[in-house]
Amino acid sequence: MSDASAGDEAGVEPTDAERTGSDPVLSLSNVDSGYGEVQVLDDLSMDLNAGEIVCLVGPNGAGKSTVLKTAFGMLTPWEGTVEYHGRDIGGMAPEDIVREGIGYVPQTDNVFGSLTIEENLRMGGVARNDDLDEVIGRLYDRFPIIDEKRGAKARTLSGGQRQVLAFARALVMEPDVLLIDEPSAGLAPNTADDVFEDVQAVNDMDTAILMVEQNVTKGLGISDWGYVLDQGTVRFDGTPDTLLNDEEVSQLYLGG
Amino acid sequence: MSVIELAANGVVYSSIIVLASIGLSLIYSIAGFANFAHGDTMTVGAYATLVAFGLIGGVGFTILGVPLGFFAAVGVGIAAAAVVAVVTQRMVYDALDVGSIGLLITSIGIAFIYRALIQMGFGADTVRYDIPSLRPIESLQQYGVLITAHDLATVLSAALLVTGLHVLLQHTDLGRKMRAMADNPDLARVSGIRTYRVKLWSWVIGAGLAGAGGAFLGLFNQLSPRMGFNLLLVVFAAVILGGIGSVYGAVLGGFLIGMIVEMTPLLSRVGVPIGIEYAEAVAFLIMVAILLVRPTGIAGDTAEGGGV
Repeated sequence: MSDASAGDEAGVEPTDAERTGSDPVLSLSNVDSGYGEVQVLDDLSMDLNAGEIVCLVGPNGAGKSTVLKTAFGMLTPWEGTVEYHGRDIGGMAPEDIVREGIGYVPQTDNVFGSLTIEENLRMGGVARNDDLDEVIGRLYDRFPIIDEKRGAKARTLSGGQRQVLAFARALVMEPDVLLIDEPSAGLAPNTADDVFEDVQAVNDMDTAILMVEQNVTKGLGISDWGYVLDQGTVRFDGTPDTLLNDEEVSQLYLGG
Repeated sequence: MSVIELAANGVVYSSIIVLASIGLSLIYSIAGFANFAHGDTMTVGAYATLVAFGLIGGVGFTILGVPLGFFAAVGVGIAAAAVVAVVTQRMVYDALDVGSIGLLITSIGIAFIYRALIQMGFGADTVRYDIPSLRPIESLQQYGVLITAHDLATVLSAALLVTGLHVLLQHTDLGRKMRAMADNPDLARVSGIRTYRVKLWSWVIGAGLAGAGGAFLGLFNQLSPRMGFNLLLVVFAAVILGGIGSVYGAVLGGFLIGMIVEMTPLLSRVGVPIGIEYAEAVAFLIMVAILLVRPTGIAGDTAEGGGV
């Protein structure tokens, strides 16, 4: 939910005052995390509520992708907790977290290039016991662009089509939460717009989305809430309008 | 020897190389390292076949001059090679956190261990299966082809195993998972694939095929503790030529390398004075030449997205 009047407030100190819903499906609390010896996240806390699109923005190296990787078990939090529906999933393996109901779309290499579109979707559903064909059928209906190319190898797809397939692969599990790393990276502006529409379409399917995005205006434009990260921790959070209209945030972190 | 006779020999020899190449390539693409114990895994398969055949015996019928009991013994050889490889994977490779180069070097040590144990058990001399040698098939001799029924049994068995692997890779859930893992291991985990299990199955299949290759190599020549190791460089050449990590490339590379080795006598026929003792060197030279033109190998991916 965005609320233009909020931008008039003096500060954008972290506050949940105007945020709809207080029903976090995914919460990171006081998380430290990193790669090997290198710490990236420093006492980071954030929430994703049911039905929301939340966008993480901030300069390169702020730790945006690291948040997603820590939430998805590709990195184990050094300190703090990652809770999904109130249960601590910190350090669980990705293949188990998928079964809990969280999906992840990496920024690059997010399809199996040598497998067909159909096979990519089947791989997305390896943890499903039932209704696989039915779910895949629904995804073809939702994304006709991949329906036309079921038997084609994924490496033959264009950048935009590939991104759609990457979403669809993650959606076969019908997750409650989808983590998306830079959906518009490397795409032409028009294609990026289509991808953002697809993100909204996924959100309309009752999937809460936590997204990292370099394109701040467009990323926040479709979001309900934004977090500005710097040096591994949350500097500001608020509605997209609040963040985009705040001078300090704009100058320091949003490139103008 | 006529061209057609050399080609026929090439097909027989290639069948064995192909069986070994597939496993090496599969394990490379899914377990992530070049397994130098692969040749000695072939030897394990051959000696397990020898022992099993001694216990089972001929069991009456023969197919293409090969007693039925021998095929059962090859099954035991396949199983033994698979079990040895899986035990090694779990006890050694999996327990080490040393990266792909460290695992490669470890596998050289494992190769020595396999070979030493076989030598301790069976001696260093060559042995043969208790199957009488055959004369070349007469009806083929009129075409200048001198191959025995045993050779035919080897080719047909290899074709059957390769076809089975193809069906497994393309039409089963495990096969799709294996291809997905070879393509992109990180995305495989992200998708929920239990990668550890798939990796174990890759060892079972890769080592099993090597065991079969070893068993038939014993039928083609004879058994010795170095039999698999002696073939390892040729098998590596086949895998690299085909495009390392690609199973179908390994089939093609194995076939080509086997043919080149066996067809080398043709060179002296066209005035190039190179004897058959240089057959493998010729195969390596051709491999280098092809790689200069196509560095990823014949079936190797030039861009992203590898895959078996």
